[in-house]
Amino acid sequence: MESLQAEALKKEIKELILDTLKIIDVKPEDIKNDAPLFGEGNSIGLDSIDSIEIIMALQRKYEVRIDDQNLARFVLQSINSIADFIIKEKEKQD
Amino acid sequence: MNHTITDFQHKMAAHCESGTLSGILNYNGLEITEPMVFGLANGIFFGYMKMKNFNFPTFFVRIQPGKLRTNIGKRLGVKYYSKTYKNQEEATQELDALLLKNIPVAVQVDFFYMDYLPSWYRVHNNVHFITVVGKEGSQYLVSDCYFPELARIEQDSLIKGRFAGGLSAPKGFMYYPTLVPQDPDLKKQLKIGIKKASFNMIKLPIPFVGIKGIRKFGNKITEWPSFARDIENLSHEVMKINVLLEDQGTGGAGFRYMYATFLRQASEILNSEEIKEMSKRLMEIGDGWREISVFAARMGKNRDLGVDKLRVLGDMILKRADVEKEFFTDLYKIVK
Repeated sequence: MESLQAEALKKEIKELILDTLKIIDVKPEDIKNDAPLFGEGNSIGLDSIDSIEIIMALQRKYEVRIDDQNLARFVLQSINSIADFIIKEKEKQD
Repeated sequence: MNHTITDFQHKMAAHCESGTLSGILNYNGLEITEPMVFGLANGIFFGYMKMKNFNFPTFFVRIQPGKLRTNIGKRLGVKYYSKTYKNQEEATQELDALLLKNIPVAVQVDFFYMDYLPSWYRVHNNVHFITVVGKEGSQYLVSDCYFPELARIEQDSLIKGRFAGGLSAPKGFMYYPTLVPQDPDLKKQLKIGIKKASFNMIKLPIPFVGIKGIRKFGNKITEWPSFARDIENLSHEVMKINVLLEDQGTGGAGFRYMYATFLRQASEILNSEEIKEMSKRLMEIGDGWREISVFAARMGKNRDLGVDKLRVLGDMILKRADVEKEFFTDLYKIVK
């Protein structure tokens, strides 16, 4: 059950990223959960400006704060790492 | 020489100067977080100015480099030994001798030569701070707040970093604390630090600093095209707004998030709900700075740099001036 929820969350995060950055030529299923979102091997061409927009979108949708760029570098590594961060933050809030 | 100070606790931090200072004070027995160093030292600030030899105006979001250390000295009674060098050999010998005495030493370097970091990340910046905690053969072990673990750097690279030329050249600068009071009157000093920061933002009679500086920034940004060589140059400078607010070790939103975290920690020590609420308010103010940062970056990236768009950006900045004026006025009243 838990993993189904996590999978749903990862799909939602992909949709949020594509919607926020207005990327229309990539589908959520094209983004691998463990693929790097930035840097070398980045499959959807994201840059550091995109990272701030993603942080703001995550904050609005999930009420989680990523205030520090050093933390952002770890959290925004992949869809998996974003989902892990959101789940952990939500557990802290509960 | 083979010697490592094994009990130095390396931690990543948002900003090199506050992170280095926090690490070295913790080693010397004073438990203090990075935001607490930044806030106690009244690190938050704003200034907008055009300097000689630079085509474009720039802005800064914190007090000048080195002031965090000296202000912490004043607030907490910390004494330091500090020195600059002309002679590279003397600087290296003294550093090695201090390490053998188990003294971690903070040094100022040009960030570019810190070659344990990826090359795409390194730029020339003469005001980067790291802590040297050991030496094994020709390599130093250093604690760099921007690196996840202790890093190794060749002696030659460290020397290049310590003796780089140019603006704000490090000149081999190093420091370490010689006296760290273990039980400072934190409650009193927190109020002094907060009052000083608020005073700097709302009351300094200088037309380009504090709230006046933010207003100047907002009003003058439509003049930026007149400083630019071409559209590429203008786009680069507008995108730099994002870099200065988010990417220069500010902890996000031009140090506003870090100061908000400081206020939350201070509220716990002072047992003050009012200051806790101010912390939340500043987080929201920071969100507005982050929106400015993204807006400017997109403008620059898309070469969408017309005066109308710059006016929108200017208005967003002026709105920050309004909310920060209210914020720091209220904060000043709380600690007055």
